[in-house]
Amino acid sequence: MKRIHVFLAVVILFVPLLVLAADNSPQPLTGVEVHSLGPQKLGNLPQVSVPADNPQTGMKIMLGKQLYFDTRLSKDNTISCATCHDPLAGWADKGPTSEGIGSQRGGRRAPPVSNAAYLPLQFWDGRAPSLEEQAKGPIQNPVEMGNTHEQMLRTVGDIPGYVEEFKNVFGTTPVTIDQVAQAIAAFERTVITTDSPFDRLVKGDDTALTPLEKQGLEIFNGKAHCTACHWGGHFTDGRFHNLGVTQSGPLKVDDGRSEITKNPKDTRAFKTPTVRDAALRPPYMHTGGEKTLTDVVNFYNKGGGTRDAYLDRIMVPLGLTDQEVSALVAFMTRAMTSLNPEVAAVTPIPASVLPK
Amino acid sequence: MKKSCLLLLVLFVLQLTMPTGGHAIPAFARKHGFNCNMCHTAYPKLNDFGQRFRDNGYQIPGQEGREKSVFDTPPPIAVRTSTGLSGYNTKNVTTSGFDMLGLDLLAAGVMHKNISFLFIYTPRMDEPSADYTGSQGGTNPSQLGALESGNVVFSNVIQDALNVRVGRFEPAYHAISSKRSFYLTEPYEIYSFSTPENNFVFDDNQIGVEATGQWRCGFKYGLGVVNGTGASPDNNRYKDVYLNVSQTMGAGDGQSAGQRIGAFVYYGWQPLSISGATLSPTGEADGGPNEPFYRFGGHASLNWKTLNLQGSYVKGVDDNSLNVLAPTEDYEFDGGLAELDYAGLMNNRLIASALYNWICTPSYDRDREVKAYSGVLRYYFGDWTAVNVALHAEYTHRETGETDPLKENIYALVVDFAF
Repeated sequence: MKRIHVFLAVVILFVPLLVLAADNSPQPLTGVEVHSLGPQKLGNLPQVSVPADNPQTGMKIMLGKQLYFDTRLSKDNTISCATCHDPLAGWADKGPTSEGIGSQRGGRRAPPVSNAAYLPLQFWDGRAPSLEEQAKGPIQNPVEMGNTHEQMLRTVGDIPGYVEEFKNVFGTTPVTIDQVAQAIAAFERTVITTDSPFDRLVKGDDTALTPLEKQGLEIFNGKAHCTACHWGGHFTDGRFHNLGVTQSGPLKVDDGRSEITKNPKDTRAFKTPTVRDAALRPPYMHTGGEKTLTDVVNFYNKGGGTRDAYLDRIMVPLGLTDQEVSALVAFMTRAMTSLNPEVAAVTPIPASVLPK
Repeated sequence: MKKSCLLLLVLFVLQLTMPTGGHAIPAFARKHGFNCNMCHTAYPKLNDFGQRFRDNGYQIPGQEGREKSVFDTPPPIAVRTSTGLSGYNTKNVTTSGFDMLGLDLLAAGVMHKNISFLFIYTPRMDEPSADYTGSQGGTNPSQLGALESGNVVFSNVIQDALNVRVGRFEPAYHAISSKRSFYLTEPYEIYSFSTPENNFVFDDNQIGVEATGQWRCGFKYGLGVVNGTGASPDNNRYKDVYLNVSQTMGAGDGQSAGQRIGAFVYYGWQPLSISGATLSPTGEADGGPNEPFYRFGGHASLNWKTLNLQGSYVKGVDDNSLNVLAPTEDYEFDGGLAELDYAGLMNNRLIASALYNWICTPSYDRDREVKAYSGVLRYYFGDWTAVNVALHAEYTHRETGETDPLKENIYALVVDFAF
């Protein structure tokens, strides 16, 4: 009899525990598939997955590339995708935050387009669930391209070459915003940076990294805790973290991911950027507040920035010595920089074609 | 005198051959592809990230529900052992030999979001064949080793503030974990001390239920109800309770960053006798009469760069009915430890540590006083994921007793590896 009581007491205690333990964390946005990446080892980039409704074709990729570099998508013909996602700046911005139409300063710096195809959510706050959705945003952002979709489509529709290309690629006219977005996204899915010294090391070239860079890799994956978030082939978990970055730039307050999810736990959380080619795109953080990679490492070394109530619990001081900081920076500077042979950084739009 | 020396020697050798029970769980490193230093200052000692990982039910904070479970990963099994030369000498005796100082077989992982487990089995190492007679005074010939830990953790029952651990586990009053100590031959003496008629050992893992939690302000607690014997089955129907609280100042958890102070109290009951006691079908005894004892104390962990100074003070009081040496008074003792650890070279490849242990006993039991001075040097080879090999050198000078102290020197030069 007493054993039955004990058994019942145990059941009564643990069933609620099981239920509570299972269901008390925030759920992803409804209707948005967040890839279940799971912690993965560092490695080479996998094959890019292509959505079934936007298959890759050579003509579409070329059309997307033209659009990507075309300033005529903006209201005053001054801003293209490449203006802020500049191949010569690691497919990001020279920063610190991006400058849009009419020299307006944006609140965040443009995240890199390179390897963005691997991310489940786009933008620093993850508000776009695909590259296609992301491509539509800046066109009509008043601070970025300052255009409207309708006006941009009229502009593109008035260019015979584009009309012909769209007809060849999609088989229909007139040009739609979805077609523009699909073409740009198709191109962006080819912007994959590979063949860094790290990639060669993974493929078996033990001489690809210098001894200092190898030490940096060891620290990256150990004492510095970088791989807690910067993991997998893309060196990012694609998720959102509050590092305590001090807000700067035009925005006085930027609550990041929580503006989208409305979940207080996401307050001031921003997407983990990839470490690939990081050396090509200073300054760092969503504000561009850290000028160099050394500054970034020192930022983490002291446990992050402002210790607000939502600071990510993975943020702890690292205890890195100056030599360890140097090794880590050496690894990120050269060993993570791709030769990127697949992507031509040259604009496919002749300057003579573009309006002055 | 010779007899007591011989007895102490035998006890010491037995202690050497007992499993060390150190925790380092390369199964986690293997799962995540991490270097061991992700969670360890240098294994087996946890850093702040590792402490938070453990506190969060072996889930990276913020990744709850996204962690691969044990069903999606290679078998979460790990091994740690240390083997090499150890030696001992005192006034009349000098010994040395090649020993295996311990072997841990570990399995741990996440079974489901916020539900994880830890299992550590420590087989006996002292005999080549399985003739060990077990921990219960040699009455259990079927027991070939010890289940050091076997527990399930329900994490984030209330986010960060309530985690529940059930089974056999390292209790939260071990603010400075002996299981993750750098020392292989020298224990934290005050943890290992037991009083004459009380078989409670502070160092033992316990069986029961424990609640832990923490807040962003740096406050942590651990509250548990356990058998008190560290063993199964229990020897009485009374349960022991404990509470540990700590506060960390600054960033970190006080493991490798930030400054942490805390206090603990343990209140338990021990039966004077279990001989002739009635046993339940599962082996529990209704031993009695049950007499109280308690332990309390404080602990601190201070960090500066890669230096960590940690210490603990323990005061123990057993009811006079548990004191066969002076039955009219409570048995009171105190002691503690102070340890200074330095991590050097790239990625903490080199560990240097100094440890001081002391135990002060009542005037009628001075022979059990201890002062021990220890030092450790550890060098870690390689940077392999989920594999760690360390060359370990350790020396201890230990003095026991007051009037005619037994002075002992203990050394070990071993390879400590985990994979």
